[in-house]
Amino acid sequence: MELKRKFLSNKNILLALFALIVLAYPYIPLEGYYVSLGGWSFHMGIINNNYTLHVVVLIMLYMLLSMGLNIIPGYTGLLDLGFVGFYGIGAYTSALLTVNLAAAAFPLSLLGNFWVILPLAALNGALFGVLLGAPTLRLTGDYFAIVTFGFSELVILIVLNESWLTNGPIGVRGIAAPAIGDYVFTSERAFYYLILFMLILVIIFIKRIANSKIGRAWFAIRENEIAAEAVGINIIKYKVVAFAISASIGAVGGAFFARWMRFVSPDMFKFWESVLILCMIILGGLGSIKGVLAGAFIMTALAEILRAVLPYAEELIRPVANVELVGARYAVFGIVLIIMMRFKPEGLFPETRVIAEMHPSTDAILDAQTDTFWDKRRT
Amino acid sequence: MLTLEDIHTYYGNLHALQGISLSVNEGEIVCLLGANGAGKTTTLMSICAINRVKKGKISYLGRDITKMATDRIVKTGISHVPEGRRIFRELTIHENLMMGAFTRKDKKGVQKDLKRMYDHFPVLYDRRQQYGGTLSGGEQQILAIARGLMLRPKLMLFDEPSLGLAPKIIAQVFDIIKEINQSGTAVLLVEQNANAALKLAHRGYVMESGKIVLEDSSYNLLHNEQVKKAYLGAE
Repeated sequence: MELKRKFLSNKNILLALFALIVLAYPYIPLEGYYVSLGGWSFHMGIINNNYTLHVVVLIMLYMLLSMGLNIIPGYTGLLDLGFVGFYGIGAYTSALLTVNLAAAAFPLSLLGNFWVILPLAALNGALFGVLLGAPTLRLTGDYFAIVTFGFSELVILIVLNESWLTNGPIGVRGIAAPAIGDYVFTSERAFYYLILFMLILVIIFIKRIANSKIGRAWFAIRENEIAAEAVGINIIKYKVVAFAISASIGAVGGAFFARWMRFVSPDMFKFWESVLILCMIILGGLGSIKGVLAGAFIMTALAEILRAVLPYAEELIRPVANVELVGARYAVFGIVLIIMMRFKPEGLFPETRVIAEMHPSTDAILDAQTDTFWDKRRT
Repeated sequence: MLTLEDIHTYYGNLHALQGISLSVNEGEIVCLLGANGAGKTTTLMSICAINRVKKGKISYLGRDITKMATDRIVKTGISHVPEGRRIFRELTIHENLMMGAFTRKDKKGVQKDLKRMYDHFPVLYDRRQQYGGTLSGGEQQILAIARGLMLRPKLMLFDEPSLGLAPKIIAQVFDIIKEINQSGTAVLLVEQNANAALKLAHRGYVMESGKIVLEDSSYNLLHNEQVKKAYLGAE
């Protein structure tokens, strides 16, 4: 009886409902309808077509990527501006292996299999993470950020110029879709379940690692490097581990992206992507899993909404000013972030640790004034 | 147990330590006095390799630890309570203490020591789920010391434990250091508060711009005219 009551608590029922909606989402038939308003007709409601499903897959891809990036600024407190480099490395690893080896003879064709590529891309990302991290993680603050920024630009330059391997600016086309046995992932529905599965795995993995000894070492480094050294944490080692894990999650996201889009080009991995993902985790709350997921959801959805709304706005202000507003969504992101920094600098769903830091209670001051602490000490 | 021989440390081009030689014996409290910028903190940082030593030799329990990495040095049982406390503000008291035992593998021993800390400092037990940043200055110093003790160290390095604390609390902190020493841990204490430090210590060194200028028993230092004038306030 007690067990039953515990199990059927409101929270669990809500969670189960949420899980059910997420699992069944691609099959929920929601029809849109049109509303006429003074000459324009608006499309209202959520329609469950390929487009919305595509956006939802994109949202989950960005959730996965922000989970990966979050390890660096969120857990170890370093500013990483080059995350898109690892994303690109993963995407090109996946694209090139698929295009070149999927149709090869048996043992080699395995390397073109999506399920083999995923761990390979993760390893490749980790390898580059270590190669970049080991020599540069001694740098602090802005210097480190500049090096990572340089790294992501370097990845693009190599992809652009080594056209014998990467096909240069034209990109790699005709990447086969992933498959399980004879079943080929062709519909957005299939990709929805694939990315959902990958996202859940990544969330579980990060949750576990954040609560482990490694996670605690990261938090200690984020807060106070000298104290972390003084208690015997090998700072460089734990930073490199963080960098490798973050890079491999980015590469896994890239590997999925290449097989989902079935086309990659250097344009897709510009610096802007790094900034966008960084904005997502800052908006949601650095270091908080819930916040990072929310941030990715809001920013990706907002981008799509703005894409649809801005042409209308352009038309509206045409009599007054003839300006192009389509590119203005970047400005909107900027405004959103400025408002956040002013009113809720810790993000929408911050970690409790960060709340405590940003809004210190007055208890500590009161304690310092009264002598209760010293009376309590046993003599 | 700890011997420094002719230690030279640099910050860039700045020659911060210009040939420091000192030693700490088993069961001893040794204090290191000196004005701001004399190199006291740098000496402690050099011992546990947070600052790299350019020249000289540091040996500890018969081993040469000059080139060892910080985490390995900590594993050998040297615990460093850094200046300005430097507790982990966003970790709970409990997590802070557990970080002190980061390099230890004996889980049972760690739990036992944790209980010992809570018994000894009940306020830490009362607040074990609070974040370190919510503690007052004196409590943070206690937490920093307790975190250092969680290593079960053979040698503890204290860097200005009285910094920014009320006089009454300073006395308590010094009592705790004395207790630690009486339970068999050697202590190297860096202090501005020369009077209190010399009363506590067995021996003392006086530093001036990167060099050791005086070495004596703490009784002699307390009554040394030069030291009285410079560090104790002339009477």
